[in-house]
Amino acid sequence: MISVMVVDDHPMWRDGVARDLAERGFDVCATAADAAAAVRVAATVRPDVVLMDLNLGPDSGADATREITAALPQTRVLVLSASGEHDDVLQAVKAGASGYLVKSASAVELEDAVRRTAAGDAVFTAGLAGLVLGEYRRMSTEPSPPRLTDRETEVLRLVAKGLTARQIADRLVLSHRTVENHVQSTLRKLQLHNRVELARYAIEHGLDEKP
Amino acid sequence: MIDRRDPTTPLWRAAVLLRVITLVFAAAIVATHQGEYDRTWLAWVVIGAMAAWTAASAAHYLRAGHGAPWFIALDVVFCTAVMASSRLVLTPEQLAGAVPLVPTVWVTAVVAFGAVRAGMLGGATCGLVISAVNFLVRERVDVDLTRDMVLLVGIGGVLGLAASTSRASAARLAAAERIEAAAAERERLARGIHDSVLQVLARVRKRGREVGGEAAELGELAGRQEVALRALVSAAPLESAGGSADLRGMVQVLATDRVQISVPGTPVVLPEETAAELSLLVREALVNVERHAGPAARAWVLLEDLGSEVVLSVRDDGVGMAPGRLAEASAQGRLGVARSIRGRVESLGGEVSLETGPGQGVEWELRVPR
Repeated sequence: MISVMVVDDHPMWRDGVARDLAERGFDVCATAADAAAAVRVAATVRPDVVLMDLNLGPDSGADATREITAALPQTRVLVLSASGEHDDVLQAVKAGASGYLVKSASAVELEDAVRRTAAGDAVFTAGLAGLVLGEYRRMSTEPSPPRLTDRETEVLRLVAKGLTARQIADRLVLSHRTVENHVQSTLRKLQLHNRVELARYAIEHGLDEKP
Repeated sequence: MIDRRDPTTPLWRAAVLLRVITLVFAAAIVATHQGEYDRTWLAWVVIGAMAAWTAASAAHYLRAGHGAPWFIALDVVFCTAVMASSRLVLTPEQLAGAVPLVPTVWVTAVVAFGAVRAGMLGGATCGLVISAVNFLVRERVDVDLTRDMVLLVGIGGVLGLAASTSRASAARLAAAERIEAAAAERERLARGIHDSVLQVLARVRKRGREVGGEAAELGELAGRQEVALRALVSAAPLESAGGSADLRGMVQVLATDRVQISVPGTPVVLPEETAAELSLLVREALVNVERHAGPAARAWVLLEDLGSEVVLSVRDDGVGMAPGRLAEASAQGRLGVARSIRGRVESLGGEVSLETGPGQGVEWELRVPR
């Protein structure tokens, strides 16, 4: 059974989602209302999937995402946000989240997204694909930017235009699996680059040394 | 008395100070040449008039709004009169020689006033007028007087440029502050709406759908409001600065429960008119989807910034059309829209591609160069 932890500062929403997931056969092993609690509780219960809201009062869901994915490599974070598809979503994805879903998604879409996240797939909305494409283009002016292959760009553009993985597979005459792998790879490169950048920043500013 | 928002205030003060200092200098020159003039008494009367004018003009230049153009014109006339009076004060030999006119460098302040008021052109014009009067009073053109002219006109130009530059940068700063204030306010509103209204609407939509029946209909209504509200509060600010605008905000507001908008995380800045025209084209393509793609059709808009060009894709999953049925499409008015969109993109220097097939929806791609 897939274990899920729900992080959201809004009690009504949190309990509603937890109930939905339980009804659909998930093990909702924990809930948390803020970023600090999320990091703490996740370390104890080690869920398969963390459903992460991004508007956690003063704390950022992106920071919690970074800490959780760094400490628990087996745990995947799926961002579930009412926020528009904006910078905070991009930050969370760069910090290690493996997908993103808007809160207006139906229970069926949520179930599907959680299952795919647990299976290791990247869950993209069209909006997230547009943001990720923009991020690669923004970074292309940096000294050693991560690059997408032509195929990856092509796939990501189709995701951003609302095609499902299956429709993309049909159009490009690829297998469904190959399309999923391309999508995943766009996220992995972004996250890897982000970790390298953070490490470089830490070294340059002496943050890696313990006082 | 002094307008804090006027960036030229320090320049006006400096020019007034210049006039006071040069008045003292002129008085000292007259004192040195005392007794050598044709009419020393007149020289002191002129100095007295200059002192009175210095005080009166300082009051005018230092008040809010500073020098009015008519006052500066009057100032130039006064300076001309003071210079001309030197013909009665100095002996013909002094006039022909190197003895300075009664006001000496006191007249340079008016060049500064003209420059600060009217920029390079104003400064250079005042410099030219004063130099011309100098030539006329001396009745000759030589190296010394020409050098004075070059200095006066040059300084007038440089000061004028400084004044107009500081005005322009102050205006830009004020515009940036306004946009920042608007963005902060929007951020505050957005946060409030995210934390409350959007959460509730999303929940109502979700539960309504699950409960079914009449509740599903209510949930659907709540969902539509949720999508529209989210688009409104998360759209990039629409305010433009310096004639350019962020195209993202203009297309983000087109999101509905049937239309998804994907944009980059960084601003897509274009000339305001280009951005407005492109957002209108997207709007038209979406209206076309609504009319012709079928009742259940959804649409996606993707905005991409490739640096040298901006790409807008509008795709729907509607009924599409067969290539052989273009004539029929034309009769339905669809081709009219296609032709109009094509023409308008081409007038922006861009190109349009249109892909469609039966049951495959319609996909527009508009490419416009930067």
